[in-house]
Amino acid sequence: MKTDTLNGQLDPLILATVAEEPAHGYAILQRLKERSGGAFDLAEGTIYPALHRLERNGLVSSSWSTESGRRRRVYSITRAGASSLEVRRREWKQFSLAIEAVMG
Amino acid sequence: MSWLDNLSGELRARGLPRRDRQRIVLELRDHIACEPGCEDRLGDPRELAISFADELATSEARGSAFVTFAALAVAAVVLIISLITLGRFARYPGYSNGISTLLFFPAILGMVVAPQVALVAGTLAAWRALRRRRVLNLPAEEIALIHRRARVALAAGFATMAGLELYVIDFSERLPAWWLGLAGGLAAVAGVGLFAASRTLARARAIVSGTRGRRGDIYDDLPALGRRWLRTRPWLLGALASVAVGLALGAFEAHAEHSVLEGIQRGMFEGLVAAIGFVVLGRAIGARPAPTPVESTALAAPLDRLVADSDRARAELVLRESYAGGRLTLDELDDRISAVHAARTAAQLRAALAHIAPPS
Repeated sequence: MKTDTLNGQLDPLILATVAEEPAHGYAILQRLKERSGGAFDLAEGTIYPALHRLERNGLVSSSWSTESGRRRRVYSITRAGASSLEVRRREWKQFSLAIEAVMG
Repeated sequence: MSWLDNLSGELRARGLPRRDRQRIVLELRDHIACEPGCEDRLGDPRELAISFADELATSEARGSAFVTFAALAVAAVVLIISLITLGRFARYPGYSNGISTLLFFPAILGMVVAPQVALVAGTLAAWRALRRRRVLNLPAEEIALIHRRARVALAAGFATMAGLELYVIDFSERLPAWWLGLAGGLAAVAGVGLFAASRTLARARAIVSGTRGRRGDIYDDLPALGRRWLRTRPWLLGALASVAVGLALGAFEAHAEHSVLEGIQRGMFEGLVAAIGFVVLGRAIGARPAPTPVESTALAAPLDRLVADSDRARAELVLRESYAGGRLTLDELDDRISAVHAARTAAQLRAALAHIAPPS
C-alpha cells in the first residue's frame, strides 16, 4: 500500500504501536512493518513529522533517553492519545464491517 | 553530502527554529545508526523538511495569533482600568493643562485610534486561527494573512500603551501620583506582554510553508456578509462599517456626555477613523476581499476525482460571480447551482461550469 492509501491512517497506527510500549522512531517503524507483514510501503521518514504532530496535539509525549551512549527520543502515549485511539478503533471497526458487508 | 547534511540544510532553508532542527536531526541520526544504509527508504530529505515546515508553520501561526490576542486583551484591560480610575477618582485635566500639547495629541491618538485597529486586527487574526484550528496544513498565503493581522494588531497595541505612557508624562504635574504610578506601571507590564507576543510572532514568521491555496478574506471569516450585493462591492462594506462604527460610538458619547453635539462630533471622528483604517489597512488584514480563486483545485483535478464540499462551494462562488457580472441569467444560475450541488466528480463539476471562464 502506498502512502496515499495510508493517508489519515498513519496517526492511529502510530498511536496503536506506541500504546503497547513506549518506543523511539526506528522501533515504532519496525513494529509497524512487522505487524502489517510489510504491506505498508511508506517513505519511512514520514513517521517523524507524524510523531511531532501527535506530540503537538498532546496525543503522545516524548523525552530523551540514552541507550548504549546514543541519545534517542522515546515516545509514549498520553491519556488523550489513548482515548483518541479508542475512538479511531471503533470508527475503523464500523467502517471495515460495512465495507466487508458490501464487498463480501 | 550525506543524507543528514541535506536534511539539516533543507530544514534551515525552511526557517525551522534551531531547537526543532537539532531534535529532528538527532532523531534521524539515531534512526540511520540503527540500520546503516536505510537512507533511501527514509525518502527525499527535501520532502521531509517541507512536511515538517508546513505543519509547524500552521501550528505556530495559530499559536502566535492566540498569544497576540491574549497580550492585547491584557493591554485592553490596562487601558480600561486606567480610564475608569481616571474618570472616577481623579479628574480629567483639560487638554491644554499638561506639559505640552505635543505630548497630548499623540497620546490621545494612541489611546483612541490605535485600540480600534488593535481590536479589529487582533480579533480577525484570532478568529481565523480558531476557525481553522483543525486544519493540518494551512495555505502559505493564509498563514501570511494571519501573521499580518497579528502584526498590525501588535503594532496598534504598542501604540495604545505608548499613548497611555505619554498621557502619564504629559499630566505628571496635574494628576495624583497614585494614578500616574498605576497607569504607568500597568502600561509597562502590558508592553512586556506585547513584546513577548511579538517575539513569538517573529519566530513563527521565519518558518516557510509551501502549501498552496487561497488566503481567504473577510467574507470567509464572516459568512453572514457573503451576500452577493455586498460581496461584489467591498467599498460599500467599508462605508457601511464606518457608518455603523460612527453611529454606535456617537450614540454612546451623546449618552455619556448628555450632549448631542459631542455625540455627533465623536461619531463623525470615529466613522472617519474607521473609513481611513479600511482604506489603509483593509487589504493587509484581509478586510477587503482577496482576488477570486484563480485555480480551483477541482478544475485542475483528474476528471474522475471525487469532489469535496469545499470544491462545490468554490464552483458556486464562480457561478454567483458570473451572474453578478451579467454572464448568466437567474434561471441559468439556479440550474447550474443545482448541478454543482449534485456533482460527485470533477467532470460533473466542470460540466456545471461549462462556458464560463474562471475569473483570473
